[in-house]
Amino acid sequence: MRKTRRLAGAGAFALAIALVAVACSSSSSSSGSSGGGFEGTALTGAGATFPDPIYEQWFKDFQQIESGAKINYQAIGSGGGVEQFTAKTVDFGASDAPLQADEIKALPTGSIELPTVLGGVVIAYNVSGLDTGLKLDGTTAAKIFLGDIKTWNDPAIAALNPGVGLPSTPISVVHRSDESGTTFVYTSWLSSQSKDWDTKVGADKAVQWPTGTGGDGNDGVAAAIGQTDGSIGYLSFDFAVSANLGIGAIKAADGSFIAPSIDSISKAGGGLTFPIQPTTNILDPSATGAYPIATTTYLLLYEDGTDANKAQTIFDFVTWALTKGQSTVQQLNYSPLPPDVASKALAALAAMTASGQALTASPAVTG
Amino acid sequence: MSEPTVVLGAGAPARVRRSRLIDRGFRGTTLVVGLGLIALLALLLVELTTGAWRTFDRFGLHFFVGTSWNPVAGREAFGALPFIFGSLVTSGVAIVIGVPIAVGLALLLNQVRGAIANPLAVFVDILAAIPSVVYGLWALFVLKPILDSSVEPFLIGTLGKVPAIGAVFHGKAQGPDLFTAGVILAIMILPIVTAVSREVIAVVPRDLREAALALGATRYESVRLAVLPYARSGIVGASMLGLGRALGETIAVSLVVGNTPRIGWSLMDPGATIPSWIASSFREATSVGLHRSALLALAVTLVVMAFILALLSRLLVRRTAELVSGPSANVPVTQGVLPTAG
Amino acid sequence: MSAAAGTVSLGPVRGIRRVKDTGFTVFLWTCAGLALVPLTWIAVYVVSKGVGALSWNFFTKEPAGPLNPQQGGIVQSFVGTGLIVGIATVIAVPLGILAGIYLAEYGKGRTASGIRLVAYVLLSTPSIVAGAFIWALVVVALGNFSALAGGLSLVVLMWPIVAIASEAVLRLVPQELREGALALGLPRWKTIVRVVMPTAGAGLLTAVMLAVARALGETAPILLTALGNDHINTDIRAPTDAVPLRVYDYARTPVEALHSIAWGGALVLLAAVLFLAISARILSNRQQKRIA
Repeated sequence: MRKTRRLAGAGAFALAIALVAVACSSSSSSSGSSGGGFEGTALTGAGATFPDPIYEQWFKDFQQIESGAKINYQAIGSGGGVEQFTAKTVDFGASDAPLQADEIKALPTGSIELPTVLGGVVIAYNVSGLDTGLKLDGTTAAKIFLGDIKTWNDPAIAALNPGVGLPSTPISVVHRSDESGTTFVYTSWLSSQSKDWDTKVGADKAVQWPTGTGGDGNDGVAAAIGQTDGSIGYLSFDFAVSANLGIGAIKAADGSFIAPSIDSISKAGGGLTFPIQPTTNILDPSATGAYPIATTTYLLLYEDGTDANKAQTIFDFVTWALTKGQSTVQQLNYSPLPPDVASKALAALAAMTASGQALTASPAVTG
Repeated sequence: MSEPTVVLGAGAPARVRRSRLIDRGFRGTTLVVGLGLIALLALLLVELTTGAWRTFDRFGLHFFVGTSWNPVAGREAFGALPFIFGSLVTSGVAIVIGVPIAVGLALLLNQVRGAIANPLAVFVDILAAIPSVVYGLWALFVLKPILDSSVEPFLIGTLGKVPAIGAVFHGKAQGPDLFTAGVILAIMILPIVTAVSREVIAVVPRDLREAALALGATRYESVRLAVLPYARSGIVGASMLGLGRALGETIAVSLVVGNTPRIGWSLMDPGATIPSWIASSFREATSVGLHRSALLALAVTLVVMAFILALLSRLLVRRTAELVSGPSANVPVTQGVLPTAG
Repeated sequence: MSAAAGTVSLGPVRGIRRVKDTGFTVFLWTCAGLALVPLTWIAVYVVSKGVGALSWNFFTKEPAGPLNPQQGGIVQSFVGTGLIVGIATVIAVPLGILAGIYLAEYGKGRTASGIRLVAYVLLSTPSIVAGAFIWALVVVALGNFSALAGGLSLVVLMWPIVAIASEAVLRLVPQELREGALALGLPRWKTIVRVVMPTAGAGLLTAVMLAVARALGETAPILLTALGNDHINTDIRAPTDAVPLRVYDYARTPVEALHSIAWGGALVLLAAVLFLAISARILSNRQQKRIA
């Protein structure tokens, strides 16, 4: 019995420590506006997984400027982001695909949709003995993902890659098993390249895959490719680079092969037009040296914020992200918006208000 | 004789009445909370079924036999069969591999008493507490590479060549697959199946086995003749409990199964189970269309399967107890909830 | 087989019978080996991989940005797990023990066996189903993922465990104790609260510890109800992180540094859960000896 009591005592002690820890942490989190400038406030956002790494980094960096701006972003997927944004349970949403007509209709209030960074969807592979830079074109990629091409030494692949020693390893296709903007971009591109794909599968956030394994999120796809010899899949550029996977060079409209790079993806962004429409995309751009499977990602903001502090924090953050923030994106293998596109996005942001009052960026952000 | 009554009547009535009231209140409270469990079960079933109603309404029984799953608005199709298939196959593999080992271990623990058996039993019981995410992490980074590089190529090369059953072991070793999920499930259900089998084997009267041994039976024969006939239904019950665990296991399976809705012969191909699919799709799903509702319909399917198994398993385990000690016996079988006495 | 057994068992043990018996013994020990090897392997592997990840930052920092993930920690997961499991424990333990008291002390007849059966059925609720249920019931109603929803999803799992385990424990208390207390004029409820429960004290604590151990490691319900959070959150109405959820998410990234943190998280979970399970066992053994 005494032992029991001692044990119970230990438990109570542990609980006390936990409570103190919680109390401390909660007191530290309630930092309002101290000092001279605007310190920002806590925000919650949810949505696309594709920009998650850069957003996380931006939020960290932005807290250096406005210390109260603790921004919690949960990468639950574009669909979830739009849903939470529509239900007004978040302060901002994020989506890889532009809002569709029915989604716009469901929105409770006016909203602003603006691009933040550019990325590429890359074809990544893991074949022992095969270096990065394998050349592929749309029709061949479509055949691989349709299951028509089954081994790496298939004549169609060999024809695109003269002089490369291709192994006879069977191809295992990896695709997203969840609904995803990345899938939307990739299947849209395949549909534009291959009649066969367009009729058999089509383009959407999730499709009926004729072959292959599902990976859960970009993470899941990267992991599946990394763990499986002979695998091929599509995922966003940054994930492919950080997972050290082989990355394919894609045949552009002018016949040249373009490897995805920060520069070649950025070039593709030059074609982005405002305002953002449900059909907006930057696939297969005509600009020389532009990567064919590039995409942008969007932030969804409420046009009129009712909480002045939150609205100001969002306004400051987005202003900062579209200007100074753009210099960080390359470190995480995203591509910055071309300057003219960034300034158009800033112009779109200017429509944002707080209880009807126009907003201006805090000095700390612009200074 | 009359005096005490007078004393009670004079001083105590208020206190007695109050005490009786508290007594009744206390009993009532515990009863209400007990009934709360029934309410919880009812609420759970009602809430999930309500959420799933739109899906059942639209697809009816086709939901259970449909093979395609497409959440995209305008092309919505929700068929649960690939997930039911994946759940049954992975759990089946787990039972085929796990149950014999668990029963063997349980028999051993009952035979070698004392110095070795106790620590062993404690060890197995404690392992039941390992969180599934820990099993999952290990399965993803340790078990899967090993199965991919040695066990699966071996199975494909040997059993895969046998006619008839070859198709089950056909394909490529690499990547996530149903087999890997089945193996980790087998490991995960070991502790519970062992614990419950041990309990049912332990209720078989020792004198029966000792009589067999005294007659000159070998250990094997004594188990065969004096233990298994009595413990059989209990062991089947234990396996069902294991099956229920395997069906409901989410995280570890989700990490190694590949999350691909697919029906096919080979264990070397990826698949998806009901819980793994709910876990991987739920956060992304939206309520605008039927997607969330369809996932809740999957949850209903799963919970009904689990509950039926639980009922059957309880029946069978109790029958073992009754077989041994008669129908009125109230042998407490804790079914692995509490650590069994060492 | 059983028909032949009578004759077989009389003969001397040799030949095929001996081979069978030896084979059987070998089979049993092989089973033990096959069962214990992976289980031991898991424990040893988690420790060896996890120890390297444990650092000051690991316990005190929120996740660092993706540019330097190895510098981050998962303090928000520890706080979140504390919050969620705390909520669950505060609700589930009293409910479970009261239900256990009913079953052990008052419950007779159809009501009691009905409740007992339901408790057993609930015990087999797949954890993901508990999550989906609370999502539909709480998350949708509140319009937000939250620590509260996470805690409630764990209550669904813990309540029947505590109820069944505490019934079993209370039943171990000798009937004479109750009769003695009642004979002394103690009302029933006082007998239970003052005599039965203290006698079963260690056992009840065991029941609670086992339930908490189960809740600590649950991932699936948290995934559907608490969502996760990169920052420390102490508001029970807001999205909250948890250690198992973080381990699951990090396991699925391709980033090595995050895998390492995941192993660290797994080690802490394993240590906490095993500590609870082992102490629960020690307590229950002592309890059984004391009562016997």
